[in-house]
Amino acid sequence: MTKKLFIQIKNEWRSNLWLALELLLVSVVMWYVVDYLYTRAATYLEPRGFDIEHCYLIELGELTSKSPDYVPDKTQEETHADISELLERLRRRPEVEAVSLSQNSYPYNGSSSTGDVRYDTLRSPEWTIRRMVTPDFVRVFRYQGTRGETPEQLAEMLDRNEFLASDNLYNRRYGVRLTDLVGKPFQLFGDTTRSYKLGAALQVVRYSDFEEARASYCFLFKQSFYYVGLELCVRVREGHDHDFIANLKKDSESQFRIGNLFISEIRSFKDIRRNFQQARTNVVRDYVMGMGFLLLNIFLGLLGTFWFRTQQRRSEIALHKAHGATDRAVFCRLLTEGLLLLAVVTPIALLLDWSLANAELNAWRNGTTLEWDRLLICAAISLLLMATMIVVGIGIPARRAMRIQPAEALHEE
Amino acid sequence: MIRQYFNQAWAQLRQQSLISAVGIAGTALAIFLIMLVVMMQQVKVAPFAPESNRDRFLHVHYMSITNAAWGDGSSNGPMSVTTARECFQTLTTPEAVTIYSSIVVSTPVNLSGQPAMGIDLMQTDDVFWRVFDFSFIAGKPYDKASFDAGLPVAVVTESVAKKLFQRTDVEGREFLLNHAPYKVAGVVKDVSTLATTAYGQVWVPYTSTELTKTTWCNDHMGMMSCTILARDRKDFDAIRSEVERRKQEYNALVGSNGYEFIYRNRPYDQEKNAIAFSANQEPDVEQARRQRLIIFVILLVVPAINLSSMTQSRLRQRVSEIGVRRAFGSTRLELMGQIIAENLVVTLMAGLLGLLLSVAFAYLGNSILFAQEYSQTLNPPAVDADILLHASTFGWALLFCFLLNLLSSGIPAWHASRTSIVNALGGKMH
Repeated sequence: MTKKLFIQIKNEWRSNLWLALELLLVSVVMWYVVDYLYTRAATYLEPRGFDIEHCYLIELGELTSKSPDYVPDKTQEETHADISELLERLRRRPEVEAVSLSQNSYPYNGSSSTGDVRYDTLRSPEWTIRRMVTPDFVRVFRYQGTRGETPEQLAEMLDRNEFLASDNLYNRRYGVRLTDLVGKPFQLFGDTTRSYKLGAALQVVRYSDFEEARASYCFLFKQSFYYVGLELCVRVREGHDHDFIANLKKDSESQFRIGNLFISEIRSFKDIRRNFQQARTNVVRDYVMGMGFLLLNIFLGLLGTFWFRTQQRRSEIALHKAHGATDRAVFCRLLTEGLLLLAVVTPIALLLDWSLANAELNAWRNGTTLEWDRLLICAAISLLLMATMIVVGIGIPARRAMRIQPAEALHEE
Repeated sequence: MIRQYFNQAWAQLRQQSLISAVGIAGTALAIFLIMLVVMMQQVKVAPFAPESNRDRFLHVHYMSITNAAWGDGSSNGPMSVTTARECFQTLTTPEAVTIYSSIVVSTPVNLSGQPAMGIDLMQTDDVFWRVFDFSFIAGKPYDKASFDAGLPVAVVTESVAKKLFQRTDVEGREFLLNHAPYKVAGVVKDVSTLATTAYGQVWVPYTSTELTKTTWCNDHMGMMSCTILARDRKDFDAIRSEVERRKQEYNALVGSNGYEFIYRNRPYDQEKNAIAFSANQEPDVEQARRQRLIIFVILLVVPAINLSSMTQSRLRQRVSEIGVRRAFGSTRLELMGQIIAENLVVTLMAGLLGLLLSVAFAYLGNSILFAQEYSQTLNPPAVDADILLHASTFGWALLFCFLLNLLSSGIPAWHASRTSIVNALGGKMH
């Protein structure tokens, strides 16, 4: 049967050429889109190394001389004490689990500071984020140690002035895991006169949902002095998120006006994440729309073409049926015709996919654009999607063809 | 003649209702998506109030600076007021140069004794109100005297006025901003977040706050950005060369401390500024254009292949008609023209449908479609007809319809017109 179909496809090569051309073009573009989405999804699903569920950022403001309540001549030490008091009051709220201060450190943060972590001759990568934090920071965002250290244990280490660093700092360059260097003396902040003890290696903390773990580096050290520019983050106990922002804002006038301090804004980390990653999610949105467009086009193209074909082949189909073909056989024959066309263009499409990947024109992941498993998985996914559209597109006219009455159709002839 | 195209197209539509529906759906889908891409670009670059002068803007959103002691290192971000004034506001070629806070910051406002709400605060100078055309519904902007004196005055949007005072004619009323009393100078119509430079909900003079004290790199970098309004686009080159002269003079001045400003070819025009997200990289306008071109090509070619195949099939059913026309003296060119013109009638109908759909989608799905990148605000990007529909929008839609039509019917028409009369009369196309 396949052989006969091939002959038929060859005989109608003109209109099949259009279809094949479309399938080929769409195959390649589809693969490109699927490849992009696949890499993004794979990165997205990697462990993040932190948890922002139930977390909030509280922005502090400071009164100026323009305000009637302004307290003039506050020293830095007094402001430090005021902030400490504000943290204490926040901690006393029953729904609050942990409160921390930090500098350019919270997740999904547009600003970052970098620093160098040295051990002997080993040096951390250039883009190692320096997170200056109060010990509870690791409890707020639930950082984890590679040896199973809990956030509480990590916080104690920070409190003892030990530092924490992600496990992969020396991985790519030297093949050394930081877990094996726990307890050893390191040099930080470019200061060679002092050494700092590594308290624990951290499970890799990613920069964002779209950044791979393998290329995310950071270390943490205790921030001891408080000032208004620091970030104030809180974790709320599970189940107490409801109206947390509204309730805190309501109490902020009466309970959180200390010295010149006031709470100016409270944001949930969900919103912060959304804003921070909008550029990335927009691209994903564009690709998904593009994919929908391509699939719809295949559907429409096959629907249109095969609608014509069943019209033209009315008598042929009738003859088939008169010779004993079942409805199912007629249906399958038409479907197979479409799928065969797809099968014919697939090797060429694969070749084009490969050349695109080889020319580094598609998405990057794991430091490359060409991985065989990824290439094949993505090609398979796009093939499957297209095949589905072909089946749906041809299914409608094929169903109509099934209903042809041989007697009537042959009589008309 | 044209009437005949319509009749013929209409008859075809009725005869082949499903195929016509498929063709129309395919065309509409293509135009729909193409127009979404066009609109997504237009909201970034096409003028609408209060950014009606977008084609005359040159932006310096960020600045970069290095120091002889830093090696390859540089500091990148908004600049200090001093830098903005010395390097840009003192330029003589432009019509005006305004300095304003680099990002909007959610800030509490309230009436004394009442709970506060967060609004997006923008801090500006008085020139700001000349560069951007806000529509005032009460009061007026703060003037140079108020700005220079650092008076606590504010321009608020209609909805902020309503939320604070439950009315809009509130000129002269007092409210608290960051717990400091401010007086309403004017009330303006709400501004869409899509007006990326002018957007805010409350605007105050930056001299009335401590913002300008936040500086680093020896007061060279800070929290400000600036926008230059040229008298005409033709002045851009003159302005750029004046900027370059100023830069050299200023770098000589700050060079005594080892500092050197790096401009990365700033100021950027609206198109370039719209894609300039990181302060330490110059955006590649050409690459962005190339990308859009590829998208347009895919959005046109894929449906065109589809439609070609359908046009071809349809012509095959009309092959004897073509034979008759040819036998009665119609030339090949006439025949091709006829087929393409008939097709155009359908394409235009479908294109209109696609355009309507895209406008509807832009209204309903604005927060998905125009979701802003790297923005602090949680307010959705509101759209209206002024923002979405420009003469050029229709121009583009029409152009893409013509292109799609030519692509989808050109080859089949050429093919049909080459059929020999005898064959065609006999009902054979090849």
